[in-house]
Amino acid sequence: MHKTILIATTLLATAFALLAPLSATAQRVVIGLVHDTHGEPLPGVTVRVAGMPGLGTATDLDGRYMLKLPDTSNYILCASMVGMKSDSASTRAAADSAAQRRFARHHLPKGKSANMLVINFTLREQAVGVQTVVVTATRTPKTLLDVPVVTRVIDAKEIRSADAATVQDLLEAEMPGIEFNYSMNQQVNVSLQGFGGNSVLFLVDGERLAGETLDNIDYSRLTLGDVGRVEVVKGAASSLYGSNAVGGVVNLISREQTEPWTLSVNGRIGSHNDQRLGGTLSLKRGRVSSSTSLQRNHTDAIAMPAPGDFGNLYATTSLNAKQRVGVEVGDKLRLTARASYFFRERESAVEQHDRYRDFGGGVKGEYTINEATDASLSYSFDQYDKSDYTLAGGLDVRDYSNVQHTTRAIANHTFGSTGTLTVGGDFMRDYLMSYQFSPEDHHRQYTADAFAQWDWAITTRLNAVCALRYDYYSEAAADHLSPKLNLMYRLDQVALRAGYASGFRAPTLKEMYMNFDMANIFMIYGNAALRPETSDNLQLSAEWTHNGYNLAGTAYYNHVKNRITTLWSQALNGMVYTNMEPMEIGGVDINASARWDNGLGARVGYVYTHERVADGGLLTSATRPHTATARIDYSRHSFHGTFNVALTGRVMSAVTCDEYTSLTDLTSTERRTYPAYSLWKLTVSQSYPKGITLALTLDNILNYRPAYYYNNSPATTGRTIAVSLTWDVDRSFAKSALTE
Amino acid sequence: MVLAAAAAATLAACNGIFGGIYDQPVAAEDLRYGFVEEDADGRGGTLVLDVRPYDRWTFVDFAMQRVDTAHAGEAAPARWDVALHRFDASAGTGAVAETGLHSVDEAGWETDGLTFVADVDSAVMVDLSHMVEGEIGYDSVPVNPVLSHWVDVDLSQMPPIYTPSGKVYMLRTADGRLVALQMTEYMDAAGRKGVVTIKYRHP
Repeated sequence: MHKTILIATTLLATAFALLAPLSATAQRVVIGLVHDTHGEPLPGVTVRVAGMPGLGTATDLDGRYMLKLPDTSNYILCASMVGMKSDSASTRAAADSAAQRRFARHHLPKGKSANMLVINFTLREQAVGVQTVVVTATRTPKTLLDVPVVTRVIDAKEIRSADAATVQDLLEAEMPGIEFNYSMNQQVNVSLQGFGGNSVLFLVDGERLAGETLDNIDYSRLTLGDVGRVEVVKGAASSLYGSNAVGGVVNLISREQTEPWTLSVNGRIGSHNDQRLGGTLSLKRGRVSSSTSLQRNHTDAIAMPAPGDFGNLYATTSLNAKQRVGVEVGDKLRLTARASYFFRERESAVEQHDRYRDFGGGVKGEYTINEATDASLSYSFDQYDKSDYTLAGGLDVRDYSNVQHTTRAIANHTFGSTGTLTVGGDFMRDYLMSYQFSPEDHHRQYTADAFAQWDWAITTRLNAVCALRYDYYSEAAADHLSPKLNLMYRLDQVALRAGYASGFRAPTLKEMYMNFDMANIFMIYGNAALRPETSDNLQLSAEWTHNGYNLAGTAYYNHVKNRITTLWSQALNGMVYTNMEPMEIGGVDINASARWDNGLGARVGYVYTHERVADGGLLTSATRPHTATARIDYSRHSFHGTFNVALTGRVMSAVTCDEYTSLTDLTSTERRTYPAYSLWKLTVSQSYPKGITLALTLDNILNYRPAYYYNNSPATTGRTIAVSLTWDVDRSFAKSALTE
Repeated sequence: MVLAAAAAATLAACNGIFGGIYDQPVAAEDLRYGFVEEDADGRGGTLVLDVRPYDRWTFVDFAMQRVDTAHAGEAAPARWDVALHRFDASAGTGAVAETGLHSVDEAGWETDGLTFVADVDSAVMVDLSHMVEGEIGYDSVPVNPVLSHWVDVDLSQMPPIYTPSGKVYMLRTADGRLVALQMTEYMDAAGRKGVVTIKYRHP
């Protein structure tokens, strides 16, 4: 509180100092704040005086501005910014406003009020988020307004205001239909509207991640510190991304550096000693830019207060380090290099810990051939290792290593206003060493693909995107053609979208060659004769956008063939990877959001998922049929900073499924119901002008505790609390608009 | 050129980098079992046993410093003091008392305050080959309830949670000798659970 008063006093003293000489010349000073409807300050907004070219200014990093008018006549001030609706105000109206009288009464001495005005602006996005540029759906930059595939974007503001400890927390809070839970031995498993970890493709800046455990990548590798936005495309996308893009694509896009320097450090501590400490330093000097990001996470072991599939959550510590460097060579070539290191240690036993490491790197060259044509060539390296660290002996023995080398070439050519042609291809060498292989401890395969996409603006209202991709996998000797066709018809406030897309997943080396003795209990065998998983995905959607309101509904249907699973084989007397009978997954996805000028915002989402195995086969998956998320938030901005409060929640229905009574007897089943639950989180934060943000988060405020901790129950012990501090150091040193 | 150089540099790293940061697993020829170490005074030492198979008992004769194995259903050797099957332990016709000590070097040989307990019949798992069918093969054999508490194995979740007691146990053999035992490890340096390290002392 004292700091707030100090800041306010400083601001006013600065303003008075400026006013003193002005009163003699009858000039008028206008100061104010410009923020968006979220209450977030908007830096770089142009504030100009109508009819007076050359008289104007821009807001500073805290959204503040100051203008000196030649006299006390009536002037019209206009605030404008790309992607936002402009706003204007007259000085006469402002001088007579209640806000001005209140300000003068409290802060200005007599005789001074006529020379100083406070005019704040609230700029509204031209439509909710539609100016956001996305790349995942078409692999070329398009605004949300124009993209023909439904794309959900979680932008930097939402990421920050969510105060999420992990990417999993963020996605669960913002999107219905997604759930992260545990499989055996507390390995994290994702479920997205009926699709599991091996059918949902996670990317970082468009690059896939090596390594998996029980069909899921290591989600601890996904940190939010340097992320500018998260793009989620539900449904198949193999025509652009190949294998694994069956149920959806989640793409984390790094933030672009535009300022000479920025430094943000953050710390968060919560119940169970849940710690997050990190920082990102970004530099830009002429043609060179750099971004360095570090983050450490830790949580203590947690004893569950009730029985279940897991009794104690393992203590875990992880470290992420990333470095990116970009260089502009001339006007046409941009080179980017990146390197990353990841380490995670899981205290799974008193005497032995599980360790996970990743070494990543890559280079990329992007060349603008001419105004209509550009091309890029990239190489990416990703190595994900697992090792067992035995404390007594001090031995750290690696027993798993997945090494992927990927080379990619992409070119785009725009044919005037007709459309854009994208062609590209990848070549990947995939090496896997695993303790689950025998007698050889490793296998490798080569994959190659080529794809083409035609983005056709048929009319100003009708857009079609069609694509075709061919994938070849050497070890499986498998190939697949993945087509897609998306159509979008746009009326003024309504966008209608329809699409067909093919999904595809090649058998992995693990699924083909596993030969693993499961704790002296049974064997798990790979199957080199597996066929690729395929899916046909149909989507129909309608989206209405008007001012601050958005309503979108999508109906989807997937026909999935040859899904790969493990079943008991009497012949082998063990589990063996097998292709399943076809299955169907369909449902609806409805989202509505609104934002008002008073700082209030709301979003609700609902997903219904229905699964069915063809020919009446047994459905053993436990996808919850109804899931919903809700968010209501309020922001208020002042000279002292921005205050935010947000209540988010997710509601997960119960699910009933059939399970085999015994793994070896596929004729005997039992019906099991997993209970419904809902979790709600309250986040309160206050940002101060010098870049300091304090946040307090109360999670699971209704104190939900499962009576039995199934693997798909939320791993919560009840209500928790966390506090976080973010310091945008560069804003502490930034020049204020009020001191110019 | 940069891309080509990067690609060339990584050719040598086709199967990965930084392999040197890891330790190598213990080579099979370096694995030592049985009475691997003797104390300088000859009154004690270290014993390492591989008791991983469910269908096998391992018998220890401290007097003769001899280790024998027998599969379930096979005859035990004529003379032995302690037998281990996974984490089950038997004292034969001897008996075992738990002490409050946590090092065999502290062992005193006064037994007045100790409660010796003999073996009792107990079911031990010997056949898990049909576990996935819900069928586990058990043998009913004598097991020492005190010595078998040297480690608690919580099978309620996978993987099991192992909690060693760290205690010193006093074995009174069938012929009346005393041996102080402490199971210090339930797995070896490579992390293989069921490779047991036992410290022992004689009076």
